[in-house]
Amino acid sequence: MLTPDERERYDRQILIEQIGPEGQEKLKRSRVVIAGAGGLGSPIAIYLTAAGVGMIRLIDHDRVSLSNLNRQILHWEEDIGKKKVQSAATKLRNLNPGIKIEAIDETITEANVSHLLEGCDAIVDAMDNLSTRYILNRCAIEKNIPFFHGAIRGFEGRAMTILPGKTACLRCMYRGSVPEEKFPVIGVTPAVIGCIQATEVIKYLLGIGQLLTNRLLMYDGLEALFTEFAVNRNPECDHCGQIK
Amino acid sequence: MPVKVHIHLTHRRFTDGKEVVEAEGQTVGECLNHLIQQFPGMEKAIFAKKDKLHNIVEVYLNHASAHPNELAKPVKDGDEIHLILMLAGG
Repeated sequence: MLTPDERERYDRQILIEQIGPEGQEKLKRSRVVIAGAGGLGSPIAIYLTAAGVGMIRLIDHDRVSLSNLNRQILHWEEDIGKKKVQSAATKLRNLNPGIKIEAIDETITEANVSHLLEGCDAIVDAMDNLSTRYILNRCAIEKNIPFFHGAIRGFEGRAMTILPGKTACLRCMYRGSVPEEKFPVIGVTPAVIGCIQATEVIKYLLGIGQLLTNRLLMYDGLEALFTEFAVNRNPECDHCGQIK
Repeated sequence: MPVKVHIHLTHRRFTDGKEVVEAEGQTVGECLNHLIQQFPGMEKAIFAKKDKLHNIVEVYLNHASAHPNELAKPVKDGDEIHLILMLAGG
């Protein structure tokens, strides 16, 4: 049940026909992992916290640096040198004390990923490299937990939602390893993509709308264009190809 | 009517700034070879070696992923090819 304070806090979104008090209670009961507390992780965490998702587990191993502040809006000048998950958790708890925030200061690896993702309803990709994304993708498929992909570079971004065993996964598009880089980015780009990912998570948790499944949404901020591409499951995919 | 190849922003310096280049061929690979005949700088931009695209280059045919075996996919007049770069930042 929602408390009187919760009814007031979420009043405007409870007014949305597809949410209502029942939907708000679903959000309150939901548990979401956000992998990464940087450019994408910041807007994702802020909007899921504001929306009333009951538990958010934020995972990041990094510390805040000055060069993060053009885009990682959960972190401020006073946070430089702090652990990102601590900096983020402080802001999120101040934004919405009714939400449980789990701040995990760890590097996601093959060895610990299963433990880190345990007991959640959704996994959100807010990573800054492909290799960790594939670790998350594989574990999401093994645990049959939806995975919400997002990535950015410069003014460009993309998002796709993965329902394990049902829709194309991130690895279905794998063409071989890609060298890591110090990627260029301006904060508005992860803001756009992170908000799309957060919207997808909310839709999934509530069972409403059309998810970005088998659809790769590309965003070009310079041209102010969204383009959609169809992506199908790859039977040869080494992560999900064996799942019927 | 030829195939339209949509050039990624990063690659337009190799196509005199053109966003769309018309190319001819029976397959995606043939169209990309025709693209390279017109704009030789595109070869190193999209191919790691002969008949092997860079891993970062994704090919979409008529707004659908052409992966795997992109280069062998047949095309017909009026088709559209998008050359997109994979993104990894966050």
